[in-house]
Amino acid sequence: MIAPHRLSVKFFFEELSIDVESFIPVFHRWIRENVVPNELLLDVADYKHIVDGPAILLVGLEADYVVDLTDAKPGLLYVRKRDAGSDLSDALGTTLSQALNGVKLTETDVELKGKLKLRTDAAMIVLLDRLNYPNSANGDGAAATAAQTQLSDDLAPLFGDDATVTRVDNDAREPLTFELHAPSAPDVDALLGQLGSVG
Amino acid sequence: MSNIGWKDVLADEMSDDLAHEIDIFEGQMELMGQGKLDEKVFAETRLRRGVYGQRYDNGQRHDGFESRELDFEEKERIKGPDTLWHAPGMQRIKVPGGGLTADQLDVLAQVADEYSDGILHVTTRQDFQLHFVHIEDTPDMMRRLASVGITTREACGNSVRNVTCCHLAGVCQTEVFDATPYSEAYAQFLLGHDDVQDFGRKFKPAFSGCEAEACGLVMMHDMGYLAQIREVDGKPKRGFKVFVGGGLGTVPHQAKVLSEFTPEEEILPQTQAVARVFARLGEKRNRNRARIKFLVAKLGIEEFRRLVDEERKTLPHDDRWTAYLDTLPHYEEKPTRPPTFLNGQVHSSEFNQWLETNVYAQRQEGYSVVTVNLPLGDLTSQQTWELADIARKYVGDNVRTTVEQNIVLRWVSDSDLPSLYEELKAIGLGDPGAGTIVDITACPGTDTCKLGIASSRGLAGELRTRLTVKSASLPDAIKDLKIKISGCFNSCGQHHVSDIGFFGNSRRSGNFKMPHFQVILGGKWRDNAGSYGLAVGAVPSKTVPEVVDTITSRYVEERTKGETFQEWIGRIGKKEARNIIQPYMQLPAFEQQPEFFSDWGDPRVFSLGDIGIGECAGEVVSLFSMEISPAESEAFEAQIALDENDPARADDLAYSSMLKAARALVRTQFLDVGDSPDRIVQEFKSRFFDTELFFDQYAKGKFGQYLLDRHSNPNPNPDNDSAHRLIEEALLFIEATHACESRVGGNVLVEI
Repeated sequence: MIAPHRLSVKFFFEELSIDVESFIPVFHRWIRENVVPNELLLDVADYKHIVDGPAILLVGLEADYVVDLTDAKPGLLYVRKRDAGSDLSDALGTTLSQALNGVKLTETDVELKGKLKLRTDAAMIVLLDRLNYPNSANGDGAAATAAQTQLSDDLAPLFGDDATVTRVDNDAREPLTFELHAPSAPDVDALLGQLGSVG
Repeated sequence: MSNIGWKDVLADEMSDDLAHEIDIFEGQMELMGQGKLDEKVFAETRLRRGVYGQRYDNGQRHDGFESRELDFEEKERIKGPDTLWHAPGMQRIKVPGGGLTADQLDVLAQVADEYSDGILHVTTRQDFQLHFVHIEDTPDMMRRLASVGITTREACGNSVRNVTCCHLAGVCQTEVFDATPYSEAYAQFLLGHDDVQDFGRKFKPAFSGCEAEACGLVMMHDMGYLAQIREVDGKPKRGFKVFVGGGLGTVPHQAKVLSEFTPEEEILPQTQAVARVFARLGEKRNRNRARIKFLVAKLGIEEFRRLVDEERKTLPHDDRWTAYLDTLPHYEEKPTRPPTFLNGQVHSSEFNQWLETNVYAQRQEGYSVVTVNLPLGDLTSQQTWELADIARKYVGDNVRTTVEQNIVLRWVSDSDLPSLYEELKAIGLGDPGAGTIVDITACPGTDTCKLGIASSRGLAGELRTRLTVKSASLPDAIKDLKIKISGCFNSCGQHHVSDIGFFGNSRRSGNFKMPHFQVILGGKWRDNAGSYGLAVGAVPSKTVPEVVDTITSRYVEERTKGETFQEWIGRIGKKEARNIIQPYMQLPAFEQQPEFFSDWGDPRVFSLGDIGIGECAGEVVSLFSMEISPAESEAFEAQIALDENDPARADDLAYSSMLKAARALVRTQFLDVGDSPDRIVQEFKSRFFDTELFFDQYAKGKFGQYLLDRHSNPNPNPDNDSAHRLIEEALLFIEATHACESRVGGNVLVEI
């Protein structure tokens, strides 16, 4: 299946005991210290004035890292914007790998350590490509069904056989969205270690 | 699946014209990629498609310690001078008169989350802007917008920009008539018109229905149209009072009256004649003097009017001039619900607060306009399609953006107001305070703009937060004051026409630069941007919240009954106004208050590029800093003289202040320059102007030219207008002198 125009993965905070504003200096430092491999980081955008939105963005050329408060579900959202891969599996592998790397960087950051924790028993995956992956209103689009199967096949080896991928019944104007439930909740290092098996 | 693109999918939903234009643009992108288009030509081409540059797109970023090169791929590939192809940019989307349908909101939301960062930003000219957009995505984005009738054509570039119109037009209590259909016809007529393709600079028109309200802000536009009805042959006749040559920018000009009454059938041909005169005689080489305001000032309004009248006689007839007039009797907006009333039901205090500030009773009984108060003009993609659904439910397609960076829902049936409020609140758009002191306007500033000096949005966010916390206890006298903030002198935040305005600049303290905001007091929003405020002094960015508190407290304490803020400022005079902010103008050393050396929402040590060169540790002040200070004082004295209706003295002082600033700069290289004006100007010219050391990256030599012009061509009989202009120029010259000294670096120190 074709790689979507953009692909995002959001991991949710289990705990977050700091103000979102605290991420601003951290993200500026990440840019300065070039901490993310294989990505060019550009700037930090402050949208904390928006209710339930993307509060703080670390904007990059290939991807954005977002402290995202949408739907009152705070999490770290990774949006892969370009160069993700040639097909959906490739794109998922790249996106997941970089997103998990972002999770690790966040949890272990010198200024954030001990003040937050991200969960790996659930994630939200969004295919931002209404041309190739339309979110048909009745929930039975062929592309959506095929994408769900592909995601399930790719994610099970990583998150365990009990992991499930379900389609979110959202508005047809919204991008095609899936939820990952992974009761085994493998730890981040284990996931990063296994990511070669995706695709 | 992979071979089908938006071009194919939307082929039947785009107009042929729009589809063709986008194809051409895509072709030009391809040619540029092959190196077959001149970079400047392509830059103007993409600008005329609304594809704009953004901060850091030259591949450089200061990280608080040093300027670093951003490692973009294919650095040799560019999309304009100093603009890397792969660097993300801004997309401006034109919304004539701010008018939007629910379907258009849906598509705007979708392109925002697929091509930008998921945030839609409403501008001060009723446009939308999306940021961090990759140029490769722009053709498909344009196609998706075109499929719902939106074009980005001429959203930027040297062309007719978005035609703005009062968001209350058609439902307003005080308008002469609804200017909306005229503004729509005007926008349609001029879009891509042959006679608007050869301007030296942009051209911004506005339509207004009321003289006394802010309405269309016609006095600050390149061309402004104020609705009028006159009796002709015993019958009422529609037309417009037409203004030309207004503008904010670095040196604000109030528009002049081109015509007291232009009948409706003459609006379009007269505008076409103006466009031809502007294209033929307007400045082309020096873009800093290329706006039509400079041409009008240079020719004088009488001569300009004569030229336009002569040009009008030569125009070949065009049926489009009047074709739309036949449709006017049928022009109407349709509400989706019948008129109803609130009927005095008891509601929550928060609803009542929102009702007081965000709801305007239309002249059509039973209907209201609801202002959706967007913080800093922003909303998310999700909020946008949720807002589209709310619009469908309550008002249909009667949605407009506003020049105060909000969105209005028109034709809300009054009994729907409580449920509408609850639905807006549920999507995070139920904030009260629209149009009040908490509803602060700010341009993008250093967040994304290449020209930004200080963080206008950071400051606006901070002020909004602080003022909202205490909004319930704010005295009535200040609740409706306007605060508007620009990140630099270019006035995109419209600071000149606010009660309390700010524009970003910088000062040096020791070896570090400190973000500052120039304080502008007493501008007038009403009366179509009736008068401009004047600068009273620059304060460190981090003191601005206290400055606002102090100014507003003094106003509350000292105002006489019914006295407006403008009247109070006028009464106390600018000297006293400066005294009010004087305590905040002191510059602490970095070691004393390091937080003053970073901007709001940005922890990096403040910089305009590279951190200033280390001169010497210890308690020293550069000679330049010592000598520039009297220049600033003199510029201020010039403002006082103007207040005292002494334009000759104001002119003389403003000129003198420029000389002092120039002398201070010259003496960083040549101590024995002496006091002779001729010598100072000669040395300034040879050392800083001719060498381009004084040149701003974007304004080039514009500010230096102010001194050279005044020195070689003194005005024998300055009037208030010319003196006012010279003062503005002097202030900008002094700012530029600071900037130049920071770049070049003085090396003469004086112990204190």
